[in-house]
Amino acid sequence: MHSRKFRFGVACSKGRSRREFTELARKVEALGFSTLFVPDHFVEHDLAPTVALAHAAAVTDRLRVGTFVLGNDYKHPVVCAREMASLDLLSDGRLELGIGAGWMTADYEKAGIPLDPPGVRIARLAESITIMKGLFAPGPFTFEGKYYRVTELDGMPKPVQQPVPFFVGGGAPKILGLAAREAQIVGINANLRSGDGASPDAAKSLTPAATDQKIGWVKAAAGDRFAELELQSLVGFVMVTDDPTPILEGIANAFGVSVDDARVAPPCLVGSEDGIVASLEERRERWQMSYHVIDDNAIDAFAPVVARLTGR
Amino acid sequence: MKPFRFGVTVSQVGSAAEWRDKARKIEDLGYATLFMPDHFGEELAPLPAIAMAAAHTTTLRIGSLMFDNDYKHPAILAKEAATIDLLSDGRLELGIGAGWMRTDYDQLGLPYDPPAVRVDRFEEALHIIKQCFTGEQFTYHGEHYRVTGYASWPKPVQQPGPPLLIGGGGRRVLSIAAQKANIVGINPNLRAGEIGLDAARDSLREQTDRKVQWIRDAAGPRIDDIEIQMRFFITRVTADRMKLAEALAPSFGVSPEEALESGAALVGTEDEIAEQLHRRRAEWGLSYVVIGDDNVDAFAPIVAKLAGT
Repeated sequence: MHSRKFRFGVACSKGRSRREFTELARKVEALGFSTLFVPDHFVEHDLAPTVALAHAAAVTDRLRVGTFVLGNDYKHPVVCAREMASLDLLSDGRLELGIGAGWMTADYEKAGIPLDPPGVRIARLAESITIMKGLFAPGPFTFEGKYYRVTELDGMPKPVQQPVPFFVGGGAPKILGLAAREAQIVGINANLRSGDGASPDAAKSLTPAATDQKIGWVKAAAGDRFAELELQSLVGFVMVTDDPTPILEGIANAFGVSVDDARVAPPCLVGSEDGIVASLEERRERWQMSYHVIDDNAIDAFAPVVARLTGR
Repeated sequence: MKPFRFGVTVSQVGSAAEWRDKARKIEDLGYATLFMPDHFGEELAPLPAIAMAAAHTTTLRIGSLMFDNDYKHPAILAKEAATIDLLSDGRLELGIGAGWMRTDYDQLGLPYDPPAVRVDRFEEALHIIKQCFTGEQFTYHGEHYRVTGYASWPKPVQQPGPPLLIGGGGRRVLSIAAQKANIVGINPNLRAGEIGLDAARDSLREQTDRKVQWIRDAAGPRIDDIEIQMRFFITRVTADRMKLAEALAPSFGVSPEEALESGAALVGTEDEIAEQLHRRRAEWGLSYVVIGDDNVDAFAPIVAKLAGT
């Protein structure tokens, strides 16, 4: 048996009513998914994550709830820490705390938040993670950083999970290095330096060869910690079909990669149920990826895969 | 005259089950609203907690008392508020204040600006939040915030937005509240940055009369659309109100009788408290009564008798 067991999450940003979102959360739980994730953006996303996850946790029993991911620049880390600790407490310890350095240019511009260079944003994120961990731990916490100053604050409430699993993802060496050192869950993502998730630059950073390189960065930074890390991938394109070849050829052409690369590339899962299971096993062998997150429009089609692989 | 309704503020909770049971009990006892404060002491974060309380109930309204404007960008707060309103089927009451508790700012390393600056920023934030609730694209370039071509989503279920609750003790904030809020909270003036003698004395009857007058002056004809709310910090159902009043008087620096008439106190038998609330409604327009959760049971008969009347 593999030391990294498969589990699956669902990323959801749509919610048009209490009833619809409640039903979605319960369905995701019933289908055997581990976690419901809600992204954190101003534009093109319906729900504020802290609120939506609190609701989802309240209407389910086992489902884990995760931020996907909090934009560090949107809130002060002390405010964030208290909200996250409260969410963990009130969900009986079901939180996965995803946080990132922030990247979506439109969010920053529209809300009038200064978009600093990536190095600065990542340095600020590193300080934030230190502060949150300090506030989650027992006793008063003081921190004098370059960006934040916290004075003798005993973070309340304390989260139920000790430690709260942090989830940090990225596609470039600096952010993956931070993730490898600080997080329990590392997301192997696109490089979003362009500020646009749909850009060719972001897509190119998701090929199998680029993924090999990212895993290398994570391993180098994690050292002995690597064995404890859970590696996660966002699978934005899922299609269960008995005739995958034309679709894979289309993807291959669009992104200038081979059909075989399209079959294995982390953001795509196209194939029959058996084909997808085989491809996920191949990804785990090659990259140690065991935690896959899909979009909420694919949960029904994907459910049999979840049933076959979860916990294996 | 507005019908009475009652709210409860809760700030501490031990577990998920306890929180669910507490929210349902407050709903069952006939209280209108569960409120949470927003400070960095022992309290839970209000946002996830009231979202969960709404998930566990069906008619109970939920609210913040108050969100501190300086903790978050108003566009973020608006999105979060709209999300709660959506997921609660329109049960949010959005309390926002300019921020006052000195220790919060010090512990967070946030600058504690002079009251005038905080209130200026607060006014800009109110404008942005109201724009966000329309769902329409807008641009706002103020002194403190710059929002450009932004359309906020989701749109709250309640339109034109969740009832806005603004409270204060100074003339400027109460005037803003009278002009912009649906619910106006009359509080002690917290210019000292903490709750002490200054705040206590500012809740006495004469000071409260003056605040009510400020609200009336600023509201004009709007006064009929406004609910006036007070959060009572000293609440006890007791057959011997004078005994408590004598103990309290020194901390207000007044006579026991005057302490009982303070806008911070609700003390007496059930009938005495009901009588006092009727009188305060007639004099001050007070109809929205908020107490702490340690008194939820003791006040339940009063709620049963007065709520909705």
